[in-house]
Amino acid sequence: MPTLSVEVFGPEPPCARCRAVEKNVRDAISKIGAADISIKKLNIAAKETVQRYGVLISPALAVNGVVRVMGRIPSVSEVERLLRQALGT
Amino acid sequence: MVLTERIRAVRSLIMLVFIFFTIASLIYSRIMAYSLAPTMKPADFHGLPIWEIPVAYLMDYFSHGWICLLFAFVVAGLVYEFVPKDAITRYMGGNKVTGYGLALAMAPFLTVCSCTMVPIFAGVLYTGAGIGPAIAFLLMAPAANILSILLTGEIISWELAAVRIVVSVVVALTAGLIVSKTPWGKSIERELQQSNPTTQRAVEIVKPPLDERLLASLKFAGYLGKQILPYFLLGLVAVGYVEAYLPEDIVGRYLTGVTGVLIASVIGGPLYTPTLVEIVLGKGMWDLGMSKGALLSWLMGQPYDVANALAVSRITRWKVVLTYMVIAWAGSVVFGLTYGVLSGSL
Repeated sequence: MPTLSVEVFGPEPPCARCRAVEKNVRDAISKIGAADISIKKLNIAAKETVQRYGVLISPALAVNGVVRVMGRIPSVSEVERLLRQALGT
Repeated sequence: MVLTERIRAVRSLIMLVFIFFTIASLIYSRIMAYSLAPTMKPADFHGLPIWEIPVAYLMDYFSHGWICLLFAFVVAGLVYEFVPKDAITRYMGGNKVTGYGLALAMAPFLTVCSCTMVPIFAGVLYTGAGIGPAIAFLLMAPAANILSILLTGEIISWELAAVRIVVSVVVALTAGLIVSKTPWGKSIERELQQSNPTTQRAVEIVKPPLDERLLASLKFAGYLGKQILPYFLLGLVAVGYVEAYLPEDIVGRYLTGVTGVLIASVIGGPLYTPTLVEIVLGKGMWDLGMSKGALLSWLMGQPYDVANALAVSRITRWKVVLTYMVIAWAGSVVFGLTYGVLSGSL
């Protein structure tokens, strides 16, 4: 199974909506059951993050470095779809 | 779990009916000419025992206000969910005019949630749009976000809501232009441009089905309500006491005329809470005789609140913060006076 990296973007300290995204991502990963998915939390107000990903509006979510969700909370089933798509299963 | 098309359609329909009901009830109340704002006048509170004042005020408020609040939160949730957010990132790095235009046009729709404001400010700055549009965004956002405009219109008056938008645009634009011309503003822009590699960013936004978007927007409306309403309620209790105990001659003496505008513009800032309390408090003092000019500068005083200023000074420099604060304050005084003179209520 290929490895996946998931990035969650939010302000520091994290706000409630960004925590909700992170939780949905964790739930989706445990549903898929693949071990090789890493989650990273990135600060949306950091210069490197903005210039590398181009995200402005939190919460946001990127899979393998590609921003897929911006400014809203994706549901668990939606994250699951995104991850399965990226895994090719 | 895979949802079939039919289940999705039914779920969408149920939510659309709810949204339709919310909008229809506001229109119905308009046609029937109900007042959705609190109707009790200061005189009604005299003679009530101390514990009964907030109860009476809240009862009075919610018998009218629930439609207005429900409408405001639902609309804010819908707008926030459906506004195309990738557009702002795609065009922000372009030329100056687009930068200012986007900052001013998008601010009202993106910042119903106060915690997104400083990150977006930083983001606008880092995408290379320059400090001008970033400052314009920062000042436009709290003064004219969709939730506070809807409530200003419903609770105070639509005339004032419209004036508030126009004045916010002018002040935000002026502050942005002036800060971008100052030496300290320019030095920040230079710093950021040097460290701005033109990398190709990968953004492929996915569009979820309609029912999920509707559900998400209603959830967001609920989240906003949970964040804001407790403070809003406390604010209403405070306003109840203000209306009951603040003598009208004090308000009449200090919150009218040129002094009124000056005092209102100064106390508006530190009292800012992103909870819409300033609108109800403004309405309460207006009832007690505050002039319309002072009321405008009271509402305009919001953008230079302390919490945001601290966060911004960490990203830029305190000189930038000081500059835009002075401009925002001057703007609130100038336009408060102008509006007072023009509307004949100074």
